[in-house]
Amino acid sequence: MKKSIVVCPYCGTGCKLKLVVENNKVIAAEPAMGRTNEGQLCLKGYYGWDFLNDTNLLTPRLKQPMIRRTRESALEAVSWDEAIQFASDKLMAIKKQYGPDAIMTTGSARGPGNEANYVMQKFARAVIGTNNVDHCARV
Amino acid sequence: MSNAITEIQQAKCLLIFGYNAADSHPVVARHILKARANGAKIIVCDPRKIESARIADQWLPLNNGSNMALVNAIANVIIEEDLYDKAFVQNNTEGFDAFREIASHYTPESVEQVTGLKAADIRLAARTYAAASEAMILWGMGVTQYGQAVDVVRGLAGLALLTGNFGRPGVGCGPVRGQNNVQGTCDMGMLPHQFPGYQSVADDVIRDKFEKAWGVTLSGTPGYRLTEVGHKADEGICKAFYIFGEDPAQTEADLAAMRATMRKMELVIVQDIFMTQTAEFADVIFPATSWGEHEGVYSSADRGFQRFYKAVNPSGDVKPDWEIFSLLATRMGYPMSYSNTEEIWDELRALAPLYAGVTYEKMADLKSVQWPCPTEDHPGTSYLFEGNKFSTPSGKGIFIGAEWRPPLEQPDSDYPLVLSTVREVGHYSCRSMTGNCSALQTLADEPGYVQMHPDDAKALGIDDQQLVWVSSRRGKVISRANYNDRVNKGVVYMTYQWWIGACNELTIEHVDPISSTPEFKYCAVKVEHIDDQAWAENYVQTEYSSLKARLKSHVANA
Repeated sequence: MKKSIVVCPYCGTGCKLKLVVENNKVIAAEPAMGRTNEGQLCLKGYYGWDFLNDTNLLTPRLKQPMIRRTRESALEAVSWDEAIQFASDKLMAIKKQYGPDAIMTTGSARGPGNEANYVMQKFARAVIGTNNVDHCARV
Repeated sequence: MSNAITEIQQAKCLLIFGYNAADSHPVVARHILKARANGAKIIVCDPRKIESARIADQWLPLNNGSNMALVNAIANVIIEEDLYDKAFVQNNTEGFDAFREIASHYTPESVEQVTGLKAADIRLAARTYAAASEAMILWGMGVTQYGQAVDVVRGLAGLALLTGNFGRPGVGCGPVRGQNNVQGTCDMGMLPHQFPGYQSVADDVIRDKFEKAWGVTLSGTPGYRLTEVGHKADEGICKAFYIFGEDPAQTEADLAAMRATMRKMELVIVQDIFMTQTAEFADVIFPATSWGEHEGVYSSADRGFQRFYKAVNPSGDVKPDWEIFSLLATRMGYPMSYSNTEEIWDELRALAPLYAGVTYEKMADLKSVQWPCPTEDHPGTSYLFEGNKFSTPSGKGIFIGAEWRPPLEQPDSDYPLVLSTVREVGHYSCRSMTGNCSALQTLADEPGYVQMHPDDAKALGIDDQQLVWVSSRRGKVISRANYNDRVNKGVVYMTYQWWIGACNELTIEHVDPISSTPEFKYCAVKVEHIDDQAWAENYVQTEYSSLKARLKSHVANA
């Protein structure tokens, strides 16, 4: 059994908790003495972790890259190499034809974290060449 | 937030405005309870009798959409009854005269009809707030999700300036951020006009710094906002949409319009952890690791950088988000490689002076560092504006007043009720995470509820817990009536995470002119009784099962 410190992903309070893990499965959440939560958790903090155990209750986890070769095609599982090439070709073509500002990108205010968002806005600004970067703060 | 969440306990007065802590931030609600136990006066301005209203000294059940009128009336009392801090206003602020002029039109007596409040109650609240040695304002989406939102935020900040409630512990303004890392996405420059650290893309010196660090020429033209994408697609300007860790097909206003926007795109890339309704529109899906499967830093609502660690190994062929962007950047001709999140963090802090002193070491385990933190020996900043120095060019706090304007879509004979979208404690955002947790799913499931005053429901022949149709000019959904005497007559309330009872099919894409946030809190709807309840129950289950089956099949058949 091991315990890992995480910050709850369900609101802006920033409560710290420990995920208790056995055989790569989360089995419990324990409150921790974080600066803002002072050892307290709410309903979601205590019971919001079992989707990590692949419960498949509402909708499945995405486990492999997928592409739609044409608008009419079904989603098709492909390798990372092929998915990255497909997306790269399409983005480069749109950038060439319409300019970088034809591409809109978003950040994620949820699980990914600050570093992922930093890299995303760098990707939009330095690689695509646009400031079309926004996120769901407004919802 | 200008102050730390923990400083709520030090306040002597809390003015809680359009903010339901018990449902949206239960642990902040505990801080409010502790403040109460410490003797703080509590004033709640909310149309519903929310939990905080039950323990408040004063609950002001204002009419939906009258925020600006009430804020102006409170300012009016504080100024005209001479309750404001003249020395503070004189020494630390600008724009008082113009602010006073607008507030002078809003005596409490003159706003009784618009707000639905008694003048004497507004006067009492204003006096309580002004008299406290430490007064803090907390607000939420009951302020920001209106067509007039930024004006109200400025008005509330004006109340704090009037009374000198900045630059000390236990005072200030707290917009309590909803999503766990919405503060962080702002901090990281996921904004069309700012680089990380709130640095303007239009500033040549700043752009030069980023150009040197990244080795490319950068655009100095601000980009467009998420809520503008629909119009940009209609105009043929926006052709591709790269959606990272969000579900606009569930969370944006007026979902039919959002779906039409996505269909117009030549390319939709979705990077997520779940097969969402947004992912259905994707031409490319990049599967990412989840919270619990990767590490990094989040920002809490009170500017606190906090590290979270990896707990379990992911089971699929998934990658951390930053690695996916790096692969794509490299393939597009811009080599990008990081070996871990700390390397990314160190690049960030070298470019953002506000965060320069925040090392991974200083955030280890349970530690937390609040920005600004300019140097490594700096401990971080619990409250902003110490010494009454504000982050404006002049260093002064600026009063900005505004006249009240009503919400856009008023109820009429066709759509006689107002719909306001709200939160509930057991589910989060688009529900892809909490809906996959067994305890949380057991507590609440489709189609969700429409909270109604019992008198409104009875007038329509609707019993408690019956299924009903709720419709607006934009859509129609099924929901379950919840007799609720905490809500005001004439207004119904729905939470936004349900797929079958999706209230955003109904909401309107009328946005605040400055923030571009939609008016989720106000649109006209009608609620209709359904005669055949057995049919309706079956309809909900059939629709829900077929939607879940469709999403599963995309993954299973891929």
